[in-house]
Amino acid sequence: MKEWTFIAIIAVVSLATPAAPILIGKLIGPRKPNTLKNATYECGVETVGDTWVQFKVQYYIFALVFLVFDIEVVFLYPWAVAYNQLPLFGVIEGVIFIIILAAALIYAWRKGALEWT
Amino acid sequence: MKEISPEATSDVKSVDAVELLSRKFPGSIKPDDRKGYEGIVVDSSKLPEVATAIRDELGFDLLANLSYVDYPEEGVFEVVYNAYNTAVGGKGLTFRVRTSRDEAEIPSLIGVWPGVDFQEREAWDLMGIRFSGHPDLRRILLWEGFAGHPMRKDWREPFYEEDNKPYGTRWPEGQVQRAEMKTPYGMNVQYPGGFKLEGWEPEGEEALYAGLGTPLGIGPDIHQIKTDQLIVNLGPQHPSTHGVFRMAVTVDGETITRLKPVFGYLHRNHEQIGERNTWLQNMPFTDRLDYFSSLANNLAYAISVEKMMGQEIPERADLLRVLMVELTRIQNHYSAIGFLLNDLGAFFTPVLYALTERELILDLFEATTGSRMMCNYMRFGGLAYDLPSYIGGPAIKEGDRERELDTMKFIKGLVYERLPRATDMLDRYLTNNEVLVNRLKGVGVLPGDRAIAYSATGPVLRASGVPYDLRRADPYSIYNEFDFDVAVRYNGDSYDRYLIRLDEVRQSLRILEQVVPRLEETEGQEYMGGKRSYNHRVPAGDHYGHAENPKGELGFHLVSDGGGNPYRYHVRSPSFINLTALEEMCVGHKVADIIVILGSIDIVLGEVDR
Amino acid sequence: MEDLFIIIYNWLVSLLSGWGVGPVLVDIILGVLGSVLIVAYLLTLALFIIWVERKLVARIQDRIGPNRVGPWGLFQNIADVLKLLTKEIIIPDGADLVPFMLAPMIAVASVFMIWAALPFTRNAVGTNVSIGVLYIVAVSSLSIMAVLMAGWSSNNKYALLGAFRGVAMLVSYEVPMILTLLVPVFLTGSMRVNEIVGAQTIWYVIAMPIAAVIFYIANHAEAGRSPFDMLEAESEIVAGFHIEYSGMAFAMFYLAEFLHAFTISALTATLFFGGWRGPFVEQVPTLGIIYFFIKTFAIYLFNVWARGTLVRLRIDQIMSFCWKFLVPIALILLVLSMLVDKIATGIIPNYLDTTLLGMLPRTGILLLVNLVVGALAFGWIARTGRRERERLESRQIAPVERPAAGQQAK
Repeated sequence: MKEWTFIAIIAVVSLATPAAPILIGKLIGPRKPNTLKNATYECGVETVGDTWVQFKVQYYIFALVFLVFDIEVVFLYPWAVAYNQLPLFGVIEGVIFIIILAAALIYAWRKGALEWT
Repeated sequence: MKEISPEATSDVKSVDAVELLSRKFPGSIKPDDRKGYEGIVVDSSKLPEVATAIRDELGFDLLANLSYVDYPEEGVFEVVYNAYNTAVGGKGLTFRVRTSRDEAEIPSLIGVWPGVDFQEREAWDLMGIRFSGHPDLRRILLWEGFAGHPMRKDWREPFYEEDNKPYGTRWPEGQVQRAEMKTPYGMNVQYPGGFKLEGWEPEGEEALYAGLGTPLGIGPDIHQIKTDQLIVNLGPQHPSTHGVFRMAVTVDGETITRLKPVFGYLHRNHEQIGERNTWLQNMPFTDRLDYFSSLANNLAYAISVEKMMGQEIPERADLLRVLMVELTRIQNHYSAIGFLLNDLGAFFTPVLYALTERELILDLFEATTGSRMMCNYMRFGGLAYDLPSYIGGPAIKEGDRERELDTMKFIKGLVYERLPRATDMLDRYLTNNEVLVNRLKGVGVLPGDRAIAYSATGPVLRASGVPYDLRRADPYSIYNEFDFDVAVRYNGDSYDRYLIRLDEVRQSLRILEQVVPRLEETEGQEYMGGKRSYNHRVPAGDHYGHAENPKGELGFHLVSDGGGNPYRYHVRSPSFINLTALEEMCVGHKVADIIVILGSIDIVLGEVDR
Repeated sequence: MEDLFIIIYNWLVSLLSGWGVGPVLVDIILGVLGSVLIVAYLLTLALFIIWVERKLVARIQDRIGPNRVGPWGLFQNIADVLKLLTKEIIIPDGADLVPFMLAPMIAVASVFMIWAALPFTRNAVGTNVSIGVLYIVAVSSLSIMAVLMAGWSSNNKYALLGAFRGVAMLVSYEVPMILTLLVPVFLTGSMRVNEIVGAQTIWYVIAMPIAAVIFYIANHAEAGRSPFDMLEAESEIVAGFHIEYSGMAFAMFYLAEFLHAFTISALTATLFFGGWRGPFVEQVPTLGIIYFFIKTFAIYLFNVWARGTLVRLRIDQIMSFCWKFLVPIALILLVLSMLVDKIATGIIPNYLDTTLLGMLPRTGILLLVNLVVGALAFGWIARTGRRERERLESRQIAPVERPAAGQQAK
């Protein structure tokens, strides 16, 4: 429990640390907003069209593949911790799990989900 | 590639061309018989057909230049085309079209030579000549709301004083007056009638974006999922556009689907200034075109005017010109390679090493001409100064002590040791770098025939497999006395455009190795031919002179009425015309690639915007 | 000799207890002290490593680097911070204010929080949580959130492009990173970071060099340094996701970037290079902190070196490298080394011994597996590279048939 207290404390401290200079900067820095200064930067040209558009789908496919992998690999961690106590059969079971993961990778690869176009 | 007909030899005389074309287009062709003029006059109704014949049957496949002249007394605009043959080189064919000043309209040649795209827009912008059939005839160098066409002879700018320099005394009574009080226009800027600055939105933007497709246009995705495309402006205030250059692009994710270059942010109407100046006064102005290679610009202008004057040049002047121009080419290519690496994302390391060598070359320029970049060194008939006897400066250090060095020793050190070593160093560290090869190979491919169609010149053309170098194709100065090869690469991608610069540096060094001994032989000889004069009179006539600049063919279309000022002073700037091919090279590539492609074309905005 | 940190800790505990503070409160007070110590120390360090980096890159580039403020320009960064402090923090029109201001804080916080689980010496570790390694993965991915928040909330197209491509890259490289992070975990049989260090009588990099290299590359990408600086890509999208930030808000992203680069070096040093381990560290545990930083700085120099010399990869090349090379290699390596290791456990007696001599057989066998996988990997990537070049060359245009150059000269 003591360990998690520390994490809670450092989370607060490390959020407060960058917040402080930003706040100080806000306080002592000048604040003279004007339309031109606050305009979106686009190399000195007025931006055209909406920025928040339906963006290209390729990015989401990568996110999905990542999600699958990330979660599956996290499941491997407890197994890796217990690795030294496991019999050979237990390791083979884990390996089968990894092979399924690899099969997913190959599937995504063949489907062209890993092509960045 | 198309067939080159047997008639297409290097010495197709205008007369032969006239014969051949008159046979084909009876009544539409006549030779230009004005004194000092060459080429043929084409009837504007037959222009595209004649141009096609010139391209396909006479073999003049590269339309180097489109210029436009105003003759108010005759009430005509004249559009002058200069076409060249890339296969055999030699003199080109000049053909002209005349149109009335009141309804200036001629057919566009964009279907024959896509490379006229920007040049026709420029003619519309500055002279007000309409090109029927041009798909995108917008202003190009000036802003959309500009009133009038400033290259017309009857156009008067604010603060207008007189037509030609040298101006008379501004205050003959000794009474100081501000020029703007004298001018009838008074204000600094002219606006069209009914214009209000407040709330003004640039009109051209809509036309520009319309050419890019609607901002929220739906583009099909490879996965058949509909996504929005985004219009992004790269530039003018962008770290990698080599100046104030803007590309409006439509991106689908990261892939470019359309691209429109926008320029003119640095426009100063160089040509109008040039027509006000005397012939010699233009020399320092040419420095400001491609400010990386001012000496090469000087040479191109000098040889064009000398040709019209019939001026002879002493040997030493020619040697020094070649020395300076080839050193200019070397330093330009070094910086081009360095900045290309910057565009690729290297954290300034290669460019700093490249600039180190460049500084040494600039030291020589400074010692000789008095300036590192704006050299203003050449004169009609020779040079302003000879080489100095010694050279000094912070770059030539021994320990912490600055010292002075014999100039010839310095040049020899550069040519025989320092520069070959630096070239090999760049080659060794960059050429086979895995990341660099993968970023450059197959990016921005421009096939040879497209490069010719787009009027690309210089390294861009030669990297596409077309060995067209004016130093060989239409020799000027004393280049035909030197032994060197025309560098050529065949893939037309960014990697080849990188490699060809290294090749050209090596060829330039080869020329320099032949120049240096002859320089020693001619030491002390005259470097200025003819009479020194501030006010040259150039015989009436029309001439298109060109030279192989580091970035491509720099041409000057000059018309003289026999007076002390150019009647017409048109600059064919290589960077400007090489950009015509930019969209074709970029479409389908990633955002990261267009920066690299732009870097591999190597543009300078002082020259693009003029 | 007792560890200096233990002495101070015990003294503080007894001092606070002497004042009649309850044990829970003592924990909290010491926790606050410890975290402030870590954060303050990191901030000081950041000023130093930014100076080191600027000097080093300058030397790589044949320049002098900062040399005006203070001796050898040491205080240049302090001057920079002061300057940024007096600059206006501009909030662009249409920005989503809350995520816009939160993003720089999260970016910095995620780096600080990694250090909570990194042991400086045998005893001096912020928190030795039982799932230390997972904790590190979790908090370091917070920085991805920061990138996305900054890029999306800025209402700027460059920021959006930078954030999207950046996030795509960051999440992708997370996969090989956590795959290779399994290696020290299964070798030690614990997720406690300090136990992983404690078990490295022989550094894991010697047993599993390929895993260490993949881990370092993936982390290098996570830090977004050249050649993986997709997020910022100065020459393409100007400044990428933090383009609209100014003043101190920008400084925080800058700080986070440099600290992250240093942190990944510290992580690699901890997990594969034996962290605080070194000669005489058993006798004088405080020495550990010195060893730890020597190793970290040595690895950090690679980072700077890469930044000073390499050009940026393109986003599709980066993604291919991750998914089509690093991930498969990491998977194969993991499977092979686990199987071989387990089989060897059954055959060789005292295989899991952690003394220097006792670790030799395990290290040797794993090294062999690594060398085989490494050779395969290099063969594969060489072949793919060759094929890619052939593909590019086959697309090349045929040479234009023309007379030889210079034919008409003279």
